[in-house]
Amino acid sequence: MFKSSPETTRRIKRFFKIKRAIVSLFILIILYVISFFSELIANDKPILIQYNGKLYFFAAYNLYPDKTFGGNYDTETQYRELSKTDRFTSTKGNFILFPPIPYSPYTSNLNELTKNPPTPPDGRHLLGTDDRGRDVFARLLYGFRVSMSFAIILLIIEIIIGVIIGALQGYSGGFFDLTAQRFIEILSALPFLYIIILTGNIFGQGFNTLIIVMSIFNWIGLSYYIRAEFLRIKKFQFVDAAKLLGTGDIKILFSEILPNALVPIITFAPFSLIAAIQTLSALDYLGFGLPAPTPSWGELMRQGMEHLSSFWLSVYPFIALFLTLLLLAFVGEGLREAMDPKEYARME
Amino acid sequence: MSIPIIEVKKLKKYFPVRANILFMQKEYIRAVENVSFKIYPQETVGLVGESGCGKTTIGRMIVHLEQPTRGDIYYTGENTRRFRGKQLKAYRKKIQYIFQDPYSSLNPRKIVYNIISMGLRNFHIIKDNRKRKEKVSEILEQVGLPPDYLFNYPHEFSGGQRQRISIARTIAVKPDLIICDEPVSALDVSIQAQVINLLKELKNELYLSILFISHDLALVKHISDRILVMYRGYIVESAPSASLFENTSHPYTKALISAIPEPGLDAHKGRIILKGDVTAVTGEIKGCCFEDRCYMSRDICKREPPLGRQLIPGHVSYCHFAEKV
Ligand SMILES: Nc1ncnc2c1ncn2[C@@H]1O[C@H](COP(=O)(O)OP(=O)(O)OP(=O)(O)O)[C@@H](O)[C@H]1O
Ligand code: SF4
Ligand SMILES: [Mg+2]
Repeated sequence: MFKSSPETTRRIKRFFKIKRAIVSLFILIILYVISFFSELIANDKPILIQYNGKLYFFAAYNLYPDKTFGGNYDTETQYRELSKTDRFTSTKGNFILFPPIPYSPYTSNLNELTKNPPTPPDGRHLLGTDDRGRDVFARLLYGFRVSMSFAIILLIIEIIIGVIIGALQGYSGGFFDLTAQRFIEILSALPFLYIIILTGNIFGQGFNTLIIVMSIFNWIGLSYYIRAEFLRIKKFQFVDAAKLLGTGDIKILFSEILPNALVPIITFAPFSLIAAIQTLSALDYLGFGLPAPTPSWGELMRQGMEHLSSFWLSVYPFIALFLTLLLLAFVGEGLREAMDPKEYARME
Repeated sequence: MSIPIIEVKKLKKYFPVRANILFMQKEYIRAVENVSFKIYPQETVGLVGESGCGKTTIGRMIVHLEQPTRGDIYYTGENTRRFRGKQLKAYRKKIQYIFQDPYSSLNPRKIVYNIISMGLRNFHIIKDNRKRKEKVSEILEQVGLPPDYLFNYPHEFSGGQRQRISIARTIAVKPDLIICDEPVSALDVSIQAQVINLLKELKNELYLSILFISHDLALVKHISDRILVMYRGYIVESAPSASLFENTSHPYTKALISAIPEPGLDAHKGRIILKGDVTAVTGEIKGCCFEDRCYMSRDICKREPPLGRQLIPGHVSYCHFAEKV
């Protein structure tokens, strides 16, 4: 019964025609979804264990104590050791199915390595190991999830704050607008890195601290666009008409104007994700980002700096970062093109 | 006669324009100057004048979309100046507005049903969803649109159809007065007549009053009981429709009437060509507002503003030489 507005339909159609953007978006979505199952792809906890005729699934999500498999401890089983013990191998039919990459991003595989880490790529560690003997591929995979999730959470908060403040500024105009504008100027003059270091020291480095501190600054760019859109759209006669038909200010803001002001939000999103991932990587590189064992691309690159001869520590995370940003840029460019084909020529 | 629905008393609107910042002098566009008039129940009042003479500003002040610089607006005898919140909402329900531009006056993101039912919902006229839908279909038919357009977006309609949707959303809330601000000036001539006739029909069916704003005197004559002629923010003549044409008593009105093309006659015969052009007024006018373009002006016109004089009952002219026009 309800049709989407013709303009929206046209934009969606136009977006779907831009192959590079739609393919990039598709790849990103698939990768992000897959990354949520990283525990089943790269992990030292098995997917499936058969022990004395019983099956045990997904050790990554279920904690099986050592006692389950005839051991002496209540602590979690060390599966790789278990697979070598007599009590396990003696019974026929017992087996352990490890994920395709049988290494966790957190475990140092020191006793299995023949050389001192970082070790170069070989048959076992496809992309080598880092300076603590952790599998680089596993860390890249988990790092993707961390980076994307970080960027997406940041984006959502950015949209909420940016839209509310930009909308109020644009719609009310006058004194509130001016005051808020001055406040924003003060805020954007604050030294971002300094505050990150400071809060990291006071509250401890962590995902939440970083999200909160970055959220304080992040919405500013978007709020400019939203403010400009609201300033423009509030002059349309349908806004006056809605007022005369008894619509309240809040409702005018969100139900009359906002649906007409979505273009900057949508075109902004991919580039905002890019910025967030870049910032996170940079902070990790400098050591002010996420705390230590968190798998992170920036942190790997820093190791690459410290071990210049170990190319795999800098090249692979660099490629991962580059490809992710490139895909996001393709999506962003496609969205922009789909929203307004006149203004932005395609880079062909 | 009964109490007027709307009475406007000495209404003024000055828009500040960015002026000489150095000397802190403020300059104003004097959009509306000392305008007074009344609109009675079931009356259609025409407001004519050239572009930029302040017609829209008057309309917008009446519905409180613009604050008057001076002067008051009375709704059935009650001053509306302090109307806020609930009172303002109740007032706006009674006085509706049809905008000039059929394209920007409908939200492109809303379907017809939501546009027309907006007032019904906000003013709590019909609370039941199903009944509201029935009502909206009914109103669509009333304005001459098929009821199955309910779920279409404004893009899918022509200018005339869009103006019908605008009309539909105003009559939905059962107003006393509808201010029609050049409702057909953006439409093709062939469609103009249809929309005007629709307004006339609705006016009779729903016992409406109409303030019909237009720059087209011929059109205003066709629909109005009474006509106000405006020039540069001033009302220069106010008279019942027939009398305005028969006993024209202001040079400006005369020039406007002479500019109406009459079928069968030579278009240029007897046409009064005014010298000069309308210029935006920023300074105060001492004498008559029409003085610089008037073909009858004398010295007194420069010095003294003409006061309104009633020559025939109900026919007021603001000209020193009204009798000689
Ligand atoms: N918001 C505003 N700010 C500054 N000046 C304004 C504003 N609105 C109107 N004006 C000025 O006031 C004058 C009267 O404008 P108004 O829109 O009322 O004229 P109008 O008779 O409706 O003209 P039109 O036939 O073009 O619609 C014009 O000179 C216009 O430039
Ligand atoms: S008062 Fe004088 S200038 Fe004004 S309209 Fe009459 S004759 Fe013309
Ligand atoms: Mg106007």
